[in-house]
Amino acid sequence: MSPDSARSVVVVAELRQGELAPVTWELLACARRIAPAAGLALYAVVLGQAVQEAAGRLAAAGAAVTALQGPGLALYNGQAWREVLAQALPSLRPAIVLAAHTTQGLDFAPGLAVRLGAACLTGVERVAVQDGRLLFGRPAWHSKAVAQYAAAAPLSVLTVQPGAFAAEAPAADQAAGSLEVRPAAPLAGSVRFLGLRRAAEQSADLTQAQVVVAAGRGIGKPENLALVQRLAACFSSAAVAGSRPVCDAGWLDYSRQVGITGATVSPQLYIACGISGARQHTAGMQGAGFIVAISLDPQAAIFNLADLCIVEDLTLFIPAFLAECTSAPA
Amino acid sequence: MKILVCVKQVCEPETAFSFEASRPWLRQPATVRYQMNSFDEYALEGALLLKEGLPGVGLDALSVGPARAATVLQRAQGMGADRAIHILSQDEPEALALATWIAAWARAQDYHLILCGAMSQDAMQGLVGPMLAELLGLPLATSVVKLELRPGQAAIYVERELEGGWRDCLELPLPAVLTIQSGINRPRYPSLSNLLRAKQTKPHTLEATALPAAPARLELVAVDPPQRTRAGRRLEGDIQDKARQLAAILRERALL
Ligand SMILES: Cc1cc2nc3c(=O)[nH]c(=O)nc-3n(C[C@H](O)[C@H](O)[C@H](O)COP(=O)(O)OP(=O)(O)OC[C@H]3O[C@@H](n4cnc5c(N)ncnc54)[C@H](O)[C@@H]3O)c2cc1C
Repeated sequence: MSPDSARSVVVVAELRQGELAPVTWELLACARRIAPAAGLALYAVVLGQAVQEAAGRLAAAGAAVTALQGPGLALYNGQAWREVLAQALPSLRPAIVLAAHTTQGLDFAPGLAVRLGAACLTGVERVAVQDGRLLFGRPAWHSKAVAQYAAAAPLSVLTVQPGAFAAEAPAADQAAGSLEVRPAAPLAGSVRFLGLRRAAEQSADLTQAQVVVAAGRGIGKPENLALVQRLAACFSSAAVAGSRPVCDAGWLDYSRQVGITGATVSPQLYIACGISGARQHTAGMQGAGFIVAISLDPQAAIFNLADLCIVEDLTLFIPAFLAECTSAPA
Repeated sequence: MKILVCVKQVCEPETAFSFEASRPWLRQPATVRYQMNSFDEYALEGALLLKEGLPGVGLDALSVGPARAATVLQRAQGMGADRAIHILSQDEPEALALATWIAAWARAQDYHLILCGAMSQDAMQGLVGPMLAELLGLPLATSVVKLELRPGQAAIYVERELEGGWRDCLELPLPAVLTIQSGINRPRYPSLSNLLRAKQTKPHTLEATALPAAPARLELVAVDPPQRTRAGRRLEGDIQDKARQLAAILRERALL
């Protein structure tokens, strides 16, 4: 592959309360893997009202940064993001645009891709070069397989799964990239933004517990929560948690939900009971010391990140385990 | 007022796939059970609640898929959708192709509101709703966990779910596209009388090949089994053996 320095991989930084969100550094790490392999220049864009400082930090890490600043960009707004990015990106001649696989990236990336005539893939977890072509891997088929795609369009807009690429410290001899600040004035969109609202608090005992026993949709009915509670009672410091469907059904309070839209826990022991292992759930528990998973489905994705896999019906297995705990000598 | 809800038929999560070295790489067993994508059930219930609260709402359910997708349309009608639209397509198309077909149908219909699930359970792409909004040039809100529409209002109030317990509060002028997140409501079961009626009526059927096509922008080049990140030791034996082994391992690690 001949280096084509005229084309680029562009990272769209994500900000939280004006600060660079940690996932931005992961996007940069992903871009660093792609850029040399595909002979692309590395750029970053930062959108906001006053983002010079954040943009400066990215430039110091070696990216050539364009800060797109304007009063209409104070808070995330999908209409404005799509409009400003669709205007600014073509001058950077991107082959690949990387956004975060977050509620923000998922909101603007698909529409942006349509506007730019680009291919769009969300939740990308792997990047590989094969026969001179870039391949992007993402989970599919209920997370039971990894689908590898190549773009059939000159531009691809990707959202990258948080946690899939480790943020890297810049090399000691890293030269700083350039920083250009451009004013951006999106048209007044038709959507009215009425502000942010805090909806849920997390349960402290969940994040502090040494053992978390989590119930998934596989418990089947709310009565079976008692089994999960009895399992938790075998341990001295254990909390009961749930996957989102269990909380959606009202079987457990939302403060007990583990995952990207719930709590992140890293107990010494996590026991997943009837949980299939969707990324949105596992992102909240993959840091646990020891993971035990019980599922009827031998192919459940949860088994790929478990230390111990138990393919059984939890309504039979948990009672068997409880009997074992009470009868056998400690 | 007219509402469109897009529903996808997905294979159940327990489907046992087998991997192959060449195309199509992944095979399904001979018998597969299908169901309505759970996120779409929430979207449909959201539309039904609007219909119950507002006068004169007509509710269409649309599915793109092969002949078997007719069963999710029956379920949608069983839950209370007035009309079923089936865009017949063969193998799983790219999201853009799908959104292009739905847009072609929707353009001629004057919908005030289009609801999709936040994503499909199986593919988890989250593309169709946002792409549809872009193709139709309509305002979009994704991951909606609350919606309110009062009679006579030309705008809908929604809350989008963000990370860390935050919500984004927005007002969208109609027509608009929303993608609905799980938990926003409790989807109802189909009623028997509605189901019987649905079985007697045929969905309005269109051939995808007769609709505008989108160019392919992606090529699926391989399907791999997922990578393991941990030991993944499988306990063997009967259920008592497994219970005994688990207790022993947890004691050994001083976890029990
Ligand atoms: C934007 C967004 C954010 C999300 N955030 C979160 C989040 O924070 N947390 C979260 O959990 N999810 C979240 N989700 C939902 C997520 O995608 C999955 O839908 C969810 O995690 C699935 O929950 P589950 O594993 O309990 O259910 P399922 O996927 O239905 O899995 C049930 C499992 O139980 C097994 N099972 C069934 N019966 C039995 C039995 N008798 N004994 C043993 N096993 C049995 C099945 O084989 C299966 O493996 C989010 C989704 C979106 C779109």
